[in-house]
Amino acid sequence: MKYTIISDKIGVVGEKFVPGEGINIEALLAHGFIVSDEIVNDTTAPKSAKTKALPKKD
Amino acid sequence: MATSTYLSNPTFTCNSVDLSDQCRSATLSVKYDALESTAFGSTSRVYTAGLGDHELNVTLLMSYSATETYATLAALVGTATTVILKPSSSATSATNPSFTLTGTFLETLPVIDAKYGELSEIDITFKGGVYTVATA
Repeated sequence: MKYTIISDKIGVVGEKFVPGEGINIEALLAHGFIVSDEIVNDTTAPKSAKTKALPKKD
Repeated sequence: MATSTYLSNPTFTCNSVDLSDQCRSATLSVKYDALESTAFGSTSRVYTAGLGDHELNVTLLMSYSATETYATLAALVGTATTVILKPSSSATSATNPSFTLTGTFLETLPVIDAKYGELSEIDITFKGGVYTVATA
């Protein structure tokens, strides 16, 4: 996973952020210090619900 | 005579975030449990180092602005992170060592400490973690 700096509090804005040992990435992402470069693919259509066949009547 | 007067140069980095401009004081205490190894034949008590139990106490000005004190610490309370202290902002060297606690735990975060007419400050403590010193 790659990250880009968006706050000058942790480095030069626009440069890649390489987390050191023990760095809490979630905290930096949650509060706007870095962004993830991973593209989230949310265009895939959801699968339709499966339907069970009705039981045969005797 | 060797003295160190801190005016504006020390740096404090918490979870990669430079909080030097909000930091008013910082004390890193390196401590090891003293395990007594006194045995027959000893004429005095002697000790050997046990587990490290290091601690960093920091006083910070509280700011709720984006990417400042609160934003840096809010998600860290109850978790472990890495903090770095340096006597000066210049390059790390033997005369400007970089002190690091890796995997240190932030147990408590005073989210507001309001006194009328005064700048808000908070005192926080990072407990434990692996202590290292870099000189280059």
